[in-house]
Amino acid sequence: MLRFNRVFRDGGGFDSALVLLALAYLVFFSAFPLIYNLVISFQSVDLFTIATFDRPFVGLENYRDIVNDPLFWPVVRNTILFVGVSVVFQLAIGLALALFFRLDFPGATWLRGLFLAGWIMPGLVVGAIWGWLLAGDFGVVNWLIQSLGLTQQKIFWLSDPSISIYSVIIANVWLGVPFNMILLSVGLAAIPADVYEAAELDGATRLQRFFTITLPMMRAQLGAVISLGIIFTLQQFDLFAALTQGGPSNASNVLQYWSWELAFREYRIGHGSVVSVFMILVVIFVATAYVRSTRHEHVV
Amino acid sequence: MLSSTPWKRWLLLAIAVVLVAIYLFPLYWMYVTALKTNTETFANPPTLWPHHAELKVTRVWNDMGMGSFIQNSLVIACGTVTLVVLFGTGCAYGLARVRSVWMDVALFLVLMLQVLPASLMVTPIFVAFSQLGLLSWPRTGTILATAANKLPLYIVLVRAAFTQVPRELEEAALVDGNSRIGAFLSISVPLARNGILVSAILIFLQALGEYVYSRSLITDRAYQPATVGLQFFVGPNASDWTGIMTFAAIYVTPILIIFVLLQRRIVSGLTSGALK
Repeated sequence: MLRFNRVFRDGGGFDSALVLLALAYLVFFSAFPLIYNLVISFQSVDLFTIATFDRPFVGLENYRDIVNDPLFWPVVRNTILFVGVSVVFQLAIGLALALFFRLDFPGATWLRGLFLAGWIMPGLVVGAIWGWLLAGDFGVVNWLIQSLGLTQQKIFWLSDPSISIYSVIIANVWLGVPFNMILLSVGLAAIPADVYEAAELDGATRLQRFFTITLPMMRAQLGAVISLGIIFTLQQFDLFAALTQGGPSNASNVLQYWSWELAFREYRIGHGSVVSVFMILVVIFVATAYVRSTRHEHVV
Repeated sequence: MLSSTPWKRWLLLAIAVVLVAIYLFPLYWMYVTALKTNTETFANPPTLWPHHAELKVTRVWNDMGMGSFIQNSLVIACGTVTLVVLFGTGCAYGLARVRSVWMDVALFLVLMLQVLPASLMVTPIFVAFSQLGLLSWPRTGTILATAANKLPLYIVLVRAAFTQVPRELEEAALVDGNSRIGAFLSISVPLARNGILVSAILIFLQALGEYVYSRSLITDRAYQPATVGLQFFVGPNASDWTGIMTFAAIYVTPILIIFVLLQRRIVSGLTSGALK
């Protein structure tokens, strides 16, 4: 009892116990499912064997099935397209807005904060709103681009197979811009003003200052924002559920949505797990790069 | 920061207002559509302002069964926040106070678990929960899974709040004969309460918008939250847009109000936690 008091009541055991309690929860509900996912990906699982523990192991059969599935490569291509285009536009628009709102005018901080209203919205609601904005016949976006004379015909954003993925990208960029902008603003604010003043005295133009001061000094911040952007984009599921549901005929399907469809629509749970394993490996790879880069910054 | 002439400042302000207006147009369109009549909704060219505004809150609330959806959303969000605060606050405190190799390992683990996408975790969780019989309590299952998904973010944010609390105050309490848990509850937690409160509200708002776990683990419509409810009505064949937008507006208006009120604090908490 005395020993217990010394360690937990008064000593360092208290901190360890608190940390271990939360870690135990995370291990049980996050780390264990992660490993269990890997196990399932080697098993044959259907609705009849789901509740039993002795499911047959089938080796790499699920992996072979997925890689040979005619959908696999189109879906991989869509995922790369979705992540690549989303991250580039989120970053470009986010950086442009961050630079603009750093200028000196009344209400800059307050107006900048209003952008975050988009960020806090549930993804499913954002998807529903964009579904209405982009609706083929009565959508306001079609009306706008037609009256501006950009196209003659209506664009069927959600039902045209060659376009549907871009409508999800548009909604995802809208959702991601505020977060990019805020994080980049923090980085911009950390650059000392006298560096700019010195450069200005030396006769550097605005553009030169941007490329020789802003970009190099923002390197760590940009790295963090890009990694977080990739991670959030790979997590994006709600927009697909609300907008296209991967359709029409899988033209806008991405790995994270396909994995869920395989498991919960077609009950091919083993196959869904295989896709999850692929995706989780990618996410962990990006996250390691992100965590290591921020840790590194912290030490310096 | 970069000084400019007065008229230029007003020009910049005008541009900024236009930028905000363009960005927030989708939200505006949600509210405007919610106020329009059905015929006006499908008018061509679309009207930018409702000519015969009508409030359909009660009709949509009753017809779409929103009462049960919103109630379930609140149950799931409250349950999630309770679990997250219970498990996360102490952990964040420990991680902020102790510097050792093991704590670095623990922090690294937390940061890594933060990024796992719910859509990919839901398959093994569904299988495990059905084996454990947890699917008979679908909302509890959803709460447990959502809490695990949000816990790392909360820990990271609250840890940043605890690092701001001076260690000396706590040591003084220990000298006065407090136990560690006494000092933690009576000194550290009250001093970090702003950070804790804002992080908890952020988690609450995020949990209100949770979709994947609810959609996958809850099959009985009586237990489904508002996101899943909304999903019934949208999709490629959606037609009752004024009803859908009313549903969306009822659902997100409280979220937006809470957010606008706490915007500044949420932003500063987020930026200090996410980048350190």
